[in-house]
Amino acid sequence: MKLLRLVSAALFLTTLSTAADYVGSNACKTCHAPVFNQFFRNPHYQSIASGKETPENTGCESCHGPGKAHIEAHGGKATIVAFSEIGPEKTLAACLRCHSQTLSRANIRKSAHTQADVVCTNCHSIHSSKAPRFLLARQEQRDLCYSCHSTVKAQFSMPFKHRVNEGSVQCTDCHNPHGTFAATWGMAGRSHMVDQKEGNEEACLKCHADKRGPFVYEHASVRIDGCQTCHQPHGSTNPRMLTRPTVFTVCLECHNGAGQFGIMNNGVIHLSATHNMADPRYQNCTTCHVRIHGSNADPLFMR
Amino acid sequence: MKKLLLLAMASVALTSIMAQPTVAPTNEQVGNPRGENSGDYNVIQSYELGYRFATLSGDGGMYDSTVNYGDGIRLLSSSLTVQSRDGHGLLFDHLVITTQGLGGDPYQSAILRIEKNRLYRYDMMWRLSAYVDPAETISFGEHAMNTTRTMQDHDLTLFPQSRVKLFLGYSRNLETGPAITTIQLYSSAGNEYPLFQNVHEETNEYRLGGEVKFLGVRLNIMHGWEDYQENSPESLTSPSTGNNPTMPSQGNNPTLGQTLNSFQSNEPMHGTSPYWRVGLFAEGHKFWAINGRFTYVAGKDAFTLNENSAGTSVGVPNQLQVVSFGNAQRPALASNLNISLFPATHVVITNQTSYSNIRMLGDSYFTEIANGTVVSPVLPFQYLGIQIFSNTTDLMFHPKKWFSVHGGFEYSDRHINSVQGQSNLGDPAPDQAPYEQSNQLKAGAFGFRLKPVKDVTISADAEVGRQNKPIYPISDGNYQAFRGRIEYKKKQFRLAAYGKTDYNINSDILTSYASHERTYGGDGSWITNSWFSIDASYTKLHLNTLGGINYFSEGIDISGESSYYVSNIHSATLGARFAILKRADLFVGYSHVQDTGDGRATPDGAGLYSALPAFQAAQTFPLRYLSPSVRLSVRITPKLRWNAGFQYYGYREQFSSAQDYQANTGFTSLSFSF
Repeated sequence: MKLLRLVSAALFLTTLSTAADYVGSNACKTCHAPVFNQFFRNPHYQSIASGKETPENTGCESCHGPGKAHIEAHGGKATIVAFSEIGPEKTLAACLRCHSQTLSRANIRKSAHTQADVVCTNCHSIHSSKAPRFLLARQEQRDLCYSCHSTVKAQFSMPFKHRVNEGSVQCTDCHNPHGTFAATWGMAGRSHMVDQKEGNEEACLKCHADKRGPFVYEHASVRIDGCQTCHQPHGSTNPRMLTRPTVFTVCLECHNGAGQFGIMNNGVIHLSATHNMADPRYQNCTTCHVRIHGSNADPLFMR
Repeated sequence: MKKLLLLAMASVALTSIMAQPTVAPTNEQVGNPRGENSGDYNVIQSYELGYRFATLSGDGGMYDSTVNYGDGIRLLSSSLTVQSRDGHGLLFDHLVITTQGLGGDPYQSAILRIEKNRLYRYDMMWRLSAYVDPAETISFGEHAMNTTRTMQDHDLTLFPQSRVKLFLGYSRNLETGPAITTIQLYSSAGNEYPLFQNVHEETNEYRLGGEVKFLGVRLNIMHGWEDYQENSPESLTSPSTGNNPTMPSQGNNPTLGQTLNSFQSNEPMHGTSPYWRVGLFAEGHKFWAINGRFTYVAGKDAFTLNENSAGTSVGVPNQLQVVSFGNAQRPALASNLNISLFPATHVVITNQTSYSNIRMLGDSYFTEIANGTVVSPVLPFQYLGIQIFSNTTDLMFHPKKWFSVHGGFEYSDRHINSVQGQSNLGDPAPDQAPYEQSNQLKAGAFGFRLKPVKDVTISADAEVGRQNKPIYPISDGNYQAFRGRIEYKKKQFRLAAYGKTDYNINSDILTSYASHERTYGGDGSWITNSWFSIDASYTKLHLNTLGGINYFSEGIDISGESSYYVSNIHSATLGARFAILKRADLFVGYSHVQDTGDGRATPDGAGLYSALPAFQAAQTFPLRYLSPSVRLSVRITPKLRWNAGFQYYGYREQFSSAQDYQANTGFTSLSFSF
């Protein structure tokens, strides 16, 4: 408790400190030489190099607060903003002091990561990152995400998957770990940080532009509930990352004419009598319904 | 401090075993990790050049679809970082280039970042991915693809650290390659004919924007133009009797005597999607933060279809021409407003309000001419409009550093409008029948995070939601999801266990759709010392779904049956790294995925849920997919390493061996730096 008070005081002092409390990064070098000598690699070094930033926005003290008291006390975590001590809430606040100024991080306050107390320093290693960009705490982005998301790691180990492990797809192609706006598909539920295209459209369309349409005959489920209606986006034991191993079961679980479902409120249309499901010919729906994502010529998606 | 740095470096060593998905490229570093000084710059570089090989027995199509590594010389990886030592480089202060798989791997990438402090930052990402769909027999696939997708993104930011920024961007997405598709002729009960398709899909996007800060508020404006073109002509390479040449000419399957002698189809499309995005955000205030975004996309798509076929139907010559053309529009509007309040020291309240409206409308014309007779003169464009309003409020409370709690409530309202024609092809001009559907979602969420002792973290979350009118039987109608995780982490040892359930029930008069998903597992990693580290994980993913089906079998309407699906997937990974006398590094890895299905030994079901054997066989799909790997990396000099590795892939389906394969892949390479 005492420590917390001290840390809180240190953070508070950050905002109330006078210019005299800032000693400059060179003073830090005396004791923290290994960090300082490698600091030129760090993007935060730009604040020192520019020479135009105010003391509270320059070098070490821009994140760790004024160093005068720390020096006078001959070190100690209670006299400086030590990120190993201040907890997730204050860590986030400290980083957002500068890094809120990017639209891609605008939703970090309500992101699932923040709610789970996964904040900046859980994923970014400010002083010892080996990643070539973004100061990631792991060399590869996927390893960083896998370190918590073991289920996702298992999904990308499936035979049919997006090629994340192979290096041609990244988690951030579809997700924004800093939070996202509400989805424009499904029921706009919690979006699992699925990032949208620039126009707020589903992330899948970033690459799969041919599924975007508009089509004269839309397959409404694609537009309304999204691609996950039929596909598992991370990986699957089923070909084409479908939710079921055979196509007809994917289709028939919705196309059963039941109740008030569907956009016509009379059930999603079920098969006609010409479809003899005992015949293997009719068990691959997409052999005939080739334009299953949408068609410009046929309401049954047959051309 | 030195100890800290050593620990950090050890963490990086651990990184090398966190996930070793493919045996190459290697992770072992070559050269001085702190780089070499050259003038005012510091340079870190490494290159790995080698030969990759693969031998295969079994189904090559499935191998290409799931792995696809081949033989040849590759620049397996490269990395170059040039950093200004004083932040005042002449043309740039920071340059990073990384590549992977160049020279023929099916998955290649190149990333470039170059920036000059306060002046510019340029990011480029180029990627290539070879996609093969072998027309899997298990899913009765009849469409094959062997395409290549290349994507590139370029983003230039001018004055990245100033109050006024400018953005320029360009992205390109190209998919090309051959494919096999099908067409059903000459009626909806006709035969199916395989066709050759030359896939060409291309998207170009241009972006121009800016950002300005005034009065503590940032305004971000982006204007983009997305141009999409597709022209994937289909043709018949030789006369075909179709997929069902011996089917009797009776009942609903009059395919006997059908042949297709010639077929050509062109359907060029050209779509443009200019968009505007306006973002407004303010952060850093003591009691509040706010951000909002407004986007509008004016999507348009001009298309035309010209399809010509000639053949015989039940022994009678048949010629069919289909012509369709039109202009489709897809205006999409979305806006969001997020407000964060900090009423007390440890309390954060966020509220998000969002509204989106997307419509699909336009003009289209359709003509079908069968043997000189116009069958279907016009079919109008179908209208589909989706409007969503949602509001979410979340509260986070951090009373203690070791404890936090959060909860929230979401309300979402979706309204769908649809105008559809009632008639099929061949009918007179169809009726225009409007339909409307409204649905509300109410969902609550709650969770906490607890650190009872320094090295242990416990977290749990729950979400319960109700939709009053889910649009599809499988939609989230009545769902509840729970998630828990416990992690112990002390220095270089980490152990975690987790569990998750996600249940959805959707009641209906035909049947009750139910989906039960349960996931649990654990993972851990341990760097015992400088020469050994290990990483392992296990995940069990269970899914069972039960949904009502309604179908025809031999002309009889079957209802009251259910489609029942069970999947029990066990996924395990293991990686261990040994450093041998500071000279060599040995990595041993193993990945195992096994779906044990519902436990049955043959595809025949017990007749439960459906009497149709096809449905019984589709109830489960047990398979095994495993991949052990080993890699040796030997340090010859500080700037030169020799690497060799082997990785086996084995794919085996329990009910059929037609698609099984065993592949031996490997590589040998030199890693070097100058």
